[in-house]
Amino acid sequence: MDNISVLIIEDTKAESDALVKVLEANNYNIVGIATSYKDALNLFYNNKIDIVVIDIFLNGNPDGITFAETINVVPGAAKPFVFLTSSTDRKIFERAKLTQPFSFLMKPFNELEILYAIEMAVEKFYAQNDVFLSDEEDTVISKEYLFIKKGKSLKKVLLKEIVFIEVEEKYCNIITEREKFVILISLTKILDLLDNDIFSRTHRNFIVNTEKIVEIVPSDNLILLSGGHKATLSDTYKTIIKKVRTLK
Amino acid sequence: MKVTPLSLFNFLFLIIPTLLFSQQEKNITIFEKEIKTKSNLFISEIDFHKAQSFFLKKNWDSTLVYSMKQLSKPIKKKKLNNYCHFFRGFSFKQKKIYKEAKKEFAFITKDFEFYSRVRMMLGEISLEQKKFQKAISFFKDIEHLKNPKLFDIKISNVEHNIGISYLHLKKFDDAEYYLLKSAKTQEKSKDTLMLVGAYGDIATLYYEQYKDELAIPYFKKAYDLSKNIKDFGLKYNAAHNMAVVEENRKDYKLSIVYRKEFEKWKDSLNDQNKIWEVAELEKEFAVKQKQKEVNILEAENKLKVAERNKLLYSAIGLLILLATGGYFYREKIKSNKIIIAQKITLDELNATKDKLFSIVSHDLRSSVNALKTSNTKLQESLETKNFTELDTLLNNNSAITNGAYNLLDNLLNWALLQTEQGYFEITSMRLFIIVEHVAYNYKPLLLDKNISFENTVTKKDQVNVDQESLKIILRNLIDNAIKFSNENGMIKIYSRNTNEKYCAFVIEDTGIGMSENTRLELLKDTALLSKKENEDIIGTGLGMQLVKQMIQKNKGKFNIESELGKGTKMIVSLPKTVS
Repeated sequence: MDNISVLIIEDTKAESDALVKVLEANNYNIVGIATSYKDALNLFYNNKIDIVVIDIFLNGNPDGITFAETINVVPGAAKPFVFLTSSTDRKIFERAKLTQPFSFLMKPFNELEILYAIEMAVEKFYAQNDVFLSDEEDTVISKEYLFIKKGKSLKKVLLKEIVFIEVEEKYCNIITEREKFVILISLTKILDLLDNDIFSRTHRNFIVNTEKIVEIVPSDNLILLSGGHKATLSDTYKTIIKKVRTLK
Repeated sequence: MKVTPLSLFNFLFLIIPTLLFSQQEKNITIFEKEIKTKSNLFISEIDFHKAQSFFLKKNWDSTLVYSMKQLSKPIKKKKLNNYCHFFRGFSFKQKKIYKEAKKEFAFITKDFEFYSRVRMMLGEISLEQKKFQKAISFFKDIEHLKNPKLFDIKISNVEHNIGISYLHLKKFDDAEYYLLKSAKTQEKSKDTLMLVGAYGDIATLYYEQYKDELAIPYFKKAYDLSKNIKDFGLKYNAAHNMAVVEENRKDYKLSIVYRKEFEKWKDSLNDQNKIWEVAELEKEFAVKQKQKEVNILEAENKLKVAERNKLLYSAIGLLILLATGGYFYREKIKSNKIIIAQKITLDELNATKDKLFSIVSHDLRSSVNALKTSNTKLQESLETKNFTELDTLLNNNSAITNGAYNLLDNLLNWALLQTEQGYFEITSMRLFIIVEHVAYNYKPLLLDKNISFENTVTKKDQVNVDQESLKIILRNLIDNAIKFSNENGMIKIYSRNTNEKYCAFVIEDTGIGMSENTRLELLKDTALLSKKENEDIIGTGLGMQLVKQMIQKNKGKFNIESELGKGTKMIVSLPKTVS
């Protein structure tokens, strides 16, 4: 599990300091602090960013909104973002609202509020609402990562690193090459959201990363995976053999 | 003797028009009535009706026109045509166009009701045209008429006319017979005017036969009678005849007397003509005068009408003016009332605002002042390195800034609420998490007063609310709960789901509580701030006001349950999110 990378766009030092303090305390990785629109774009395109926290007013102009608008129009470049503002001016809000999905946080805010706002932004951006606040689920799945709520903060797991997933009732055991952990997500949802070309179901309770398959032993109904992991192959899902390119 | 016949002939001819004239004047009514009733059969013919009415009015020309119109129509009714021809013939005769009259009479069939009258008129025409034989035959036909009045005929006239005709034909015996008969009838009816003519004619009859002895008494009679009448023509004739008679008797003296008298009558006649002329002129003048008067009166009338109209119009104008005036007056009173009501409300609002400002400025000033003095103490403590003192001072400062900040925040939100310029968007919110967020800020304060806090709002509760509104509501209610709680108290926030549409949550404290009056005062739907009850802890009332208005704006409900000394429950209901 990795920390989430955050880009902060804030022109007031005291406020960005407070923000950095809160986020780092909650295991977020601060990629950089931009104080202008230009800085922000530079940092955004030259780093791997998961979330952007944007102050609407930069040096008295609503450049924060301009930034959000800019990244929103580039396909694939957009990332979840949260607006920070101390203004309740309706016109500004009307404009900011057009940068869908729209999440904002009124200043001043406390620790809980900023963490919540970040979670909301991720949920809304990947269109999987009501995940982190519910008791039933704790994971949002993007094309690259699993975003998992751990305590008060969020963590991410690169999908490529997952070897296989073992489903146990409401839980899913995620096994990567390095670690093993449990997430809360329904089987149907995870099947729906994972890339079918890479992840295949091999059993009622198993989802396997086909790239991590070392060997398939049909006679034993067994799939050997990298890292010495094993997964069960049931008759229903034997078509997987056709999908696997080569057998070592 | 040569002169005599000439003068006598003159005499004869003068008598007939007179007779005709008198005929018309006297018996007109019966005849007219008859004509009217009998011709009323055809009254539906407009032209005939007109002809008839003009005939009765003796307007001969118009009678001729309309009867012609009627005759030119294709409707051919024998009776109707008879009447038309009768009217025409009558009219022509009156206008002395005898030829045309005769033609018209010839068209009339013999079974026509008034044919006897036609005969009479034909006779008269013949007499006029000196066709005496013919005249006699016409007159003889009606000589023994049974009801002459019906036709406006006098038998004596008929006999007289026959007599005259015979006289002209020199059939003196017959003439004598008829004239005497006529005279007898006229003597009976004492028609002096007629008698003068009749005696004159009888005298002429004898005179023509040179029976002077017989003639003269009649002349004398005629002359004597003429003295009693006013007709100058008859007097003139009678006197003239006497003069001729006396002259023939060579009694010139007497003749001259008669002649003088005759001259006198002649003059009178002329005078009368002159008088008539003058009278005519006078009449014309009078008519003109009358016309002038009429014109003047008309002009006056016009003026009067104009004046009356002017008065009427001005009256109407005034009335309209009055009505509009009244209307505007009423409108003015109405708007005045509204303005007064508005003024009262405005005054109240203004008073509220003033009060608000005075409280806010007082509170803010005292807060900042407290900070100032605290800061000086801080510096002193720092210099003396009295760290325990430093710590309490800092805590104190933090409390002061918190209070001042909350006040400012409420003030700002209240202002935004008034101007409606703030961002407002109702979305689905998880109540639990927002309570957590807001309560997080109060942790130090709760700790300071050693108040335990728990949020047991159901995590699934979702409400439709504007996020900032909800935070303002919670902030103020929690703030109040802490403010009114004693040390070691307890504040609980929990769900109370009893309604399908609303999600209610309760903020319960174990604080000082409030009286029923205060409770009702707080719940009142008014823009005014509630009175300060307790100078020490009760603030501006702005917070509660804001809470109520925010709940209202989010279509929620608000209630308070409280017991003095035991604690208060603030109950907020917000619309549930329907999933």
